[in-house]
Amino acid sequence: MTDSKAMAGFDEPALSAGKRAILLISRLWAWVFLALMIVFFVVAVGVFSSATFLSVRNSQNILVAIVPVLLLGLGQTFVIIAAGIDLSVGWVMSLASVLSAHAIRAAFNAGVPLFLSVVLGFVAGVGGAALVGLVNGLIIAKLKVPAFIVTLGTSFIVRGMSLLFSENTTVIGLPEGIRDYGNESLFYWVRGEGGGFYILDKPEVSGELLRSMDRILAWPVVITAVVVLVCLFLLKRTQFGRHTYAIGGNMQAALRTGIPVDRHIIKLYMLSASTAGVAGVLSTLRFTAGSAVIGDPLLLSSIAAVIIGGVSLFGGAGSIIGTVIGALIIAVLTTGLVMLNVPAFWQFIVVGAVVIIAVLIDQSRDLILGRRGRGT
Amino acid sequence: MRNASAITAALLGTMLLSSTAVSAADIKIGFLPGVVDPFYQVMQLGVEAAAKDLGIEVVTQVPPTWGVEAQTPILDALVARGDLNYIIIAPTDKDQMVAPLQAAVDAGIKIITVDTFLGDGDYANGPVKFPLSYIGSDNVEGGRISARGLAKAIGGKGTVYINSTNPNVSSVEGREQGFKDVMAKEFPDIKVLGPDYNLDDQNKAAQQTAAVIEQNPDLAGVFGTNVFSAGGAGNAVVNAGLGGHVQVVAYDATAEAIELMNKGVVSLVLAQKPFDMGYLAVEFALADKAGVTSLPKRVETGFAIIDKDNVTDPNYSRFIYKVGK
Repeated sequence: MTDSKAMAGFDEPALSAGKRAILLISRLWAWVFLALMIVFFVVAVGVFSSATFLSVRNSQNILVAIVPVLLLGLGQTFVIIAAGIDLSVGWVMSLASVLSAHAIRAAFNAGVPLFLSVVLGFVAGVGGAALVGLVNGLIIAKLKVPAFIVTLGTSFIVRGMSLLFSENTTVIGLPEGIRDYGNESLFYWVRGEGGGFYILDKPEVSGELLRSMDRILAWPVVITAVVVLVCLFLLKRTQFGRHTYAIGGNMQAALRTGIPVDRHIIKLYMLSASTAGVAGVLSTLRFTAGSAVIGDPLLLSSIAAVIIGGVSLFGGAGSIIGTVIGALIIAVLTTGLVMLNVPAFWQFIVVGAVVIIAVLIDQSRDLILGRRGRGT
Repeated sequence: MRNASAITAALLGTMLLSSTAVSAADIKIGFLPGVVDPFYQVMQLGVEAAAKDLGIEVVTQVPPTWGVEAQTPILDALVARGDLNYIIIAPTDKDQMVAPLQAAVDAGIKIITVDTFLGDGDYANGPVKFPLSYIGSDNVEGGRISARGLAKAIGGKGTVYINSTNPNVSSVEGREQGFKDVMAKEFPDIKVLGPDYNLDDQNKAAQQTAAVIEQNPDLAGVFGTNVFSAGGAGNAVVNAGLGGHVQVVAYDATAEAIELMNKGVVSLVLAQKPFDMGYLAVEFALADKAGVTSLPKRVETGFAIIDKDNVTDPNYSRFIYKVGK
């Protein structure tokens, strides 16, 4: 990934074995940490309870749980790689939830078929979100106001708008059928007699069979996976991605090489708001209601996921897969701690510690490679 | 006790309606609820209905977010107006709001607390005595009623789980406490798990409940201490294929909770009576102004339990928090 690209430029043959080991750890530690954590929970949950941590259903629970944090983190990854920050994503998600709920309800009540209503919900939610991103980007790029301040400001504005647009903070009365889009899945696996594996076709079972039915790859997970793939492609394979790294690595150099920096920055904030918008629409589908507060608590978790994933807050480095790992670490912690009956607040303590470790590892790598130390 | 005081209060109100001792021009009331939400909006309807019936002017200011830091500046501004005689407030913290409200009292304003209280809620003998009265639901009792409702729904045995919002908030804490007490004393065959705190995050409530179901496949019921908790828990229950098998009790009869019940996600909804709280508080202010000295220091407005069978019965459906349309 970027690490290897960056390292190619710093090809130092004289590194000792110890330093080489540290470099290896710095590239792989998030994977290793995630793996160790899963092993820990598999053993601990197995010892302290009768449940299985890595059951099919629980793994699917975790995948569903990472959806909002990951979606907020995906757009944020681009912004932070380009040395920016978007503090508005949580509230943009809420706005998208409210807008999509209104759109779906209005369309459906006007006789639009359910599927099309949901599509319109995505258009309204993601479109409204992208508009906020456009405003963010315009002010940051054209008026040269620091991103921190601009997105802080829009957070408040967007929050107020969401509360105004919603009724009593929650938009209800949505068509019953949207529940399926937010909760049903690609595959179903019913074990036992009369069961089987079903693709795109929810089996009609009841009682104990229904209890044992696993939903594999719920629609929100599938949609999030598509967004992950699009982001991967954008960042790794396109000029858009290269420009993002270039702007974050050295803004002046990017300007001199003729990269349209202003336009690119506007696009970045639109992208960030859009992935938050997708998160908002998905939460509307999942809970069959629009909520003006659903994204409130998610901003810090999403930034934590990005940083744990190895994106440098100073720009120029980071990857999409890293952010996925970061979001997974947070979700695995929550589910695991609940299953162990540990107060869920330990999650914050562990996540906080992991964030700091992530930055320390990032810095030690820079030191070894002889790059200018960051944050000093 | 509770009924008796409620009746006293109602009688008082009727008497007041026919009394002309106090001219409406003599009294102006500020209403300061805790946050924007359907519960307080219904309370506001009660306040406004009483104000209209009694010909009193009420100034309402609603904090956009829950918390002392949001509520205090608004309170200070209401006091600074200088034209209010009474403030009806739902204090967002039982300790931190004492000093700001004491300042209001010092400025000559009388205080009535609704829904939430100051100190320990005992204005006769407790640490805080200056408010005229507390009008609200007994959250511990609400927890007890929820526990009995859930126990009945699951046949008196099995494992149940509490999903809650935030620790150290008197209202939710009381609900958890009452719930646990009843389960421990009256239903020895019911085992209680939790509470887990979702910090008002519905996604997290769903994730926590899914994890609990994973660990306890025989889970029989969930108590969601507010609508977010119940909604998130219900989502996890339905997705685990347990809709109808795991009973979910929701505290607060918001339209959303009722919709969840109609969809089969939630089985029981516990309604508080915010309209009563708002209406009575205004009547109390007028009564005090008229020289009534025997106002009860504490009025508990009680609950209604709404389920699928009675939700269309007007005697129950009237307690659903309906605002606007």
